[in-house]
Amino acid sequence: MDRRTVLKGLAGAGSFAAAGGLSMPALSQGAAARTLRFVPQANLANFDPVWGTQYVVRNAAVLVWETLYGFDANLQPQRQMVEAEEVSDDGLVWTFRLRPGLKFHDGEPVRSKDVVASLTRWTVRDPMGLMLKEIQNELTAVDDRTFKWALKKPYPKMLLALGKNSTPCAFIMPERIAQTDPFKQISEYVGSGPMKFVKSEWVPGAKSVFEKFADYQPRQEKASWLAGGKQMLVDRIEWVVIPDPATAAAALQNGEVDWWENPIPDLVPVLRKNRNVSVDIADPLGNIGSFRMNHLHPPFNDVRARRAVLTALSQEDYMRALVGDDPSLWKPLPGFFTPDTPLYNEEGGEILKGKRDFAAAKKLLAESGYTNQPVSCIVAQDQPITKAQGDVTADLLKRMGMNVDFVATDWGTVGHRRAQKSPAGQGGWEMFHTWHAGADCINPAVYIAIRASGDKAWFGWPNSPAVEKEVTAWFDARSLDEEKAAARRLNKAALEDVVFAPTGFFLSYTAWRKNVSGVVKGPLPFFWGVSKTA
Amino acid sequence: MVSYILRRILATLPVMAIVALFVFSLLYIAPGDPAAVIAGDQASPADVERIRQSLGLDRPFLIQFGSWLWLILHGDLGTSIFTNLPVTSLIAQRIEPTLSLMALSLMLAIVVAVPLGVFAAWKAGSFADRAIMAFAVLAFSLPVFVVAYILAYVFALELEWLPVQGYTPLAEGFWPWLQNLILPAVALGNVYIALIARITRASMLEVLQQDYIRTARAKGMGQRNILFIHALKNAAVPIITVIGIGVALLIGGAVVTESVFAIPGLGRLTVDAILRRDYPVIQGIVLLFSFLYVLVNLAVDLTYTLVDPRIRY
Amino acid sequence: MTVSTAHSAPVPPGLAIAPQLPDLLLPVKIRRGILGFLRNHPTVAIGGALLLCLVLVGIFAPYLGTVDPTAIAPAKRTRAPSVDFWFGTDLLGRDIYSRVLYGARVSLTVGLSVALLASLAGLAIGLVSGFLRRADTIIMRFMDGLMSIPPILLAIALMALTRGSVGNVILAITIAEIPRVSRLVRGVVLSLREQPYVDAAVASGTRTPMIILRHILPNTLAPMLVQATYVCASAMIVESILSFIGAGTPPTIPSWGNIMAEGRALWQIKPYIVFFPAAFLSATVLAVNLVGDGLRDAFDPRMAKSL
Repeated sequence: MDRRTVLKGLAGAGSFAAAGGLSMPALSQGAAARTLRFVPQANLANFDPVWGTQYVVRNAAVLVWETLYGFDANLQPQRQMVEAEEVSDDGLVWTFRLRPGLKFHDGEPVRSKDVVASLTRWTVRDPMGLMLKEIQNELTAVDDRTFKWALKKPYPKMLLALGKNSTPCAFIMPERIAQTDPFKQISEYVGSGPMKFVKSEWVPGAKSVFEKFADYQPRQEKASWLAGGKQMLVDRIEWVVIPDPATAAAALQNGEVDWWENPIPDLVPVLRKNRNVSVDIADPLGNIGSFRMNHLHPPFNDVRARRAVLTALSQEDYMRALVGDDPSLWKPLPGFFTPDTPLYNEEGGEILKGKRDFAAAKKLLAESGYTNQPVSCIVAQDQPITKAQGDVTADLLKRMGMNVDFVATDWGTVGHRRAQKSPAGQGGWEMFHTWHAGADCINPAVYIAIRASGDKAWFGWPNSPAVEKEVTAWFDARSLDEEKAAARRLNKAALEDVVFAPTGFFLSYTAWRKNVSGVVKGPLPFFWGVSKTA
Repeated sequence: MVSYILRRILATLPVMAIVALFVFSLLYIAPGDPAAVIAGDQASPADVERIRQSLGLDRPFLIQFGSWLWLILHGDLGTSIFTNLPVTSLIAQRIEPTLSLMALSLMLAIVVAVPLGVFAAWKAGSFADRAIMAFAVLAFSLPVFVVAYILAYVFALELEWLPVQGYTPLAEGFWPWLQNLILPAVALGNVYIALIARITRASMLEVLQQDYIRTARAKGMGQRNILFIHALKNAAVPIITVIGIGVALLIGGAVVTESVFAIPGLGRLTVDAILRRDYPVIQGIVLLFSFLYVLVNLAVDLTYTLVDPRIRY
Repeated sequence: MTVSTAHSAPVPPGLAIAPQLPDLLLPVKIRRGILGFLRNHPTVAIGGALLLCLVLVGIFAPYLGTVDPTAIAPAKRTRAPSVDFWFGTDLLGRDIYSRVLYGARVSLTVGLSVALLASLAGLAIGLVSGFLRRADTIIMRFMDGLMSIPPILLAIALMALTRGSVGNVILAITIAEIPRVSRLVRGVVLSLREQPYVDAAVASGTRTPMIILRHILPNTLAPMLVQATYVCASAMIVESILSFIGAGTPPTIPSWGNIMAEGRALWQIKPYIVFFPAAFLSATVLAVNLVGDGLRDAFDPRMAKSL
């Protein structure tokens, strides 16, 4: 008998013994097996997936709402709510027919007018949606199950846009809810997805509860990511927010929760040792770290300063700071696209490979005109990924001979400052850190961060006509080979102009108790097909 | 007495108004923009500006402050920017865990510390006395989260006697409610126990030297009677004062404890709200805390009258 | 003002006059007094010695076998204590021994600064409030309001306002501690104001500043000194809690609080990251508390009721 059993015995049976049911006093054992308790990566503070584009909101939203198409594990959009689609010969008119029997949680059937209203709201907030809006002639409901989208120019990536899982996704809501201003939050959470959101039990920031929707009609095909039939094998899902990683690890080991979305890498060995816990890579598409520089103001407005950073940057340092000592959790990334995806390539990546050359970096920096003025490194302390990257950058720049002013603040401040185009001394910024989900870096359509259209680009406002030329080339490509060629040229141009500095590719784990089965790898946690034995 | 209570409550309105203005101004000038956080990574600056407008954040300071005050006077604390729920309902959801935690810590501290202090005073100068005081100083020297971690590790993870996280409402049973709160209450009450024990001991020491205690002893009164009936009642005033002051300590410690033990209370709500710049929530909670503090002070002053008949209002 | 009160006029009990700070050029008689004082009050001696050690450690940190506390080496992260890294390395490969020793500077600076600033501000406010009846109510209500804002929230707000820094931490904690000190001073002033010799001074035409300086101030110093030590101890703990939440000193400046905060997630498997700074912090707070307790018992054990 091990120490723990002896001590438990000594403690006395009875009141303390029901360790497993301690935090669910109201449910019986049988009911317990039908409830899945999940620890999400972040707080679910709001729940409008078109208005708020955080990943955690989308992850919860896929339970409650559905999209017309959904990505499968091969990153191909497959029909979900749509039964059949048709595009006219000139590519200008798309006609869609919805599956029969789709119902909303309030009992109403899903109609085309709901789809039209939802898509109208979505196109205002989504980049691909905005592209569609620009070339749109009209989006109308033909009858209750058919709707039509007439365009002025062909848009071959239509299904991709409707089925992509990068936020915001094109979720379908009832018309009355979808008519809410896209810049205001919805207040009713009614969808046609396999689970209902139980608003009465929602404690924002602490707990969210979902219950099985009895009238859900899953597709016949096998589920594969967001495509196929979403069979729910549990009746109730509770999302429990546990801010302290050590506590979350303990709760998983104790059986107080069943599935932890994002265990920190350092605690994984402890979880692995536990007989009741399984650990595996969460998402083969991983994440890409980003050290983003401001192209509008000194010192990084000069490409030589940016290339100096790439010359000295050690992706290993960044990655080890992020994911620890496990080499299987990270890969060097001499480029911008996600490894093991069709468009991945390493054109122009030599600058990031090999031994780091500080002398050359200092020379480049001097050439760019940097003369020891202070640069502020603004690092959000409340986000572990940005914090770790920020610490490494501060050290890197110091070793490059720059005069670094470390500003420790929080993500809210970073979010505000990075939107300012003024110089650093007047409320602007020179650099910040972030990361992108690998699923959002597979092609230029979803990859906001790679765009270099100057003022219209993402924060940092990189301006590289070469990059934009290749982006257009990709959009116009008619075959995979053409796409790959465009991606290679894009990679090279983006590295030459240093749109941003990729700090590496890293994976994360997910952990669940052994009495839970059906957990699959993917860019977000998928709850269909997941079951639990008591 | 009643008029005293009413006067006290009225006198605190200006205090709370000052607090409200102070907090509101602080948040107004703070950089960081809830609109930017809401809009998320993929949004353009134009989007962020539109969200700001829809939230009313672009209006001038006085108008924003004025409209907030107007709402308060109608008992409405506004709507959370992030969750679109009324602040009052957010607070209502979270107030039970925090109040439970604080009340339990308080009770635990009093129940443990007062007897300890009395005992130490009785055996002043002895080894037991020194040991108790040493323990008190030690308890005061450890940060709350270190104690919390140790407790969680030993009792929840290793021994598995108690759950490691979460909160069960009282409505679902007394024992489950207590189970979730024992470890956090001990962690939080730790510092409090030290403070109260010390004050109790010191206060008792002085009282025990008084003539009337000697008289009571000479009359043949039992030691326990002397200690608890005569001495403690007379020593009570400073003890009660410290209890009142300590409530502010509890609020601070509650933030950490709620974080470690994943209790969905007001402490965590406030930290999250500050980090996200959810202004209505922050303002609502700070007002609540100051109101709570005022009530506690009032309760302390009223308790004086119970213990010391010389004090009358 | 001297240590011995034996030859001056009888002073009301409980109002000792504050001792002079030791001066290297003191005549032997007084030095013996100080040593005698320490021998009679071992708590002050022990606490003081411990505190002195820690202060010296902080001051001489660069010479005690430390390396650059901010040099990262991600390849060597979370190593256990060894010959190379006496206390192990943290999550970015920085040497914990060096960080803890340099951290003494920050924590002690925060503690001592807060104690000093809060005492000065509290003294000023308490004196004014105790002496000027009309200002009293307003000031005390304002202090009430200030006390009801939890210092942690204030610190987070300040950090969000500008940035995390030692200065902001000191400011936030000081603001939170001022009400208590001012209440204490006010209490002393109120009780002293009724004393006959103060009445006499007023009657003889002494101006208020002189009254304050000559009669009131010396008698507030003793309780204030004791209170200051408690404020110092409490400030160090609050700083560690602030760093724990992420609103404290930035990681480029190691403080015991932020070393613990960074290692908190791993403390079950790599406890040394939290253990060493916690041990140093506890030792320091303990030392300061001992000094405070000892001084309080030396001046007047009855002070213990009110502090």
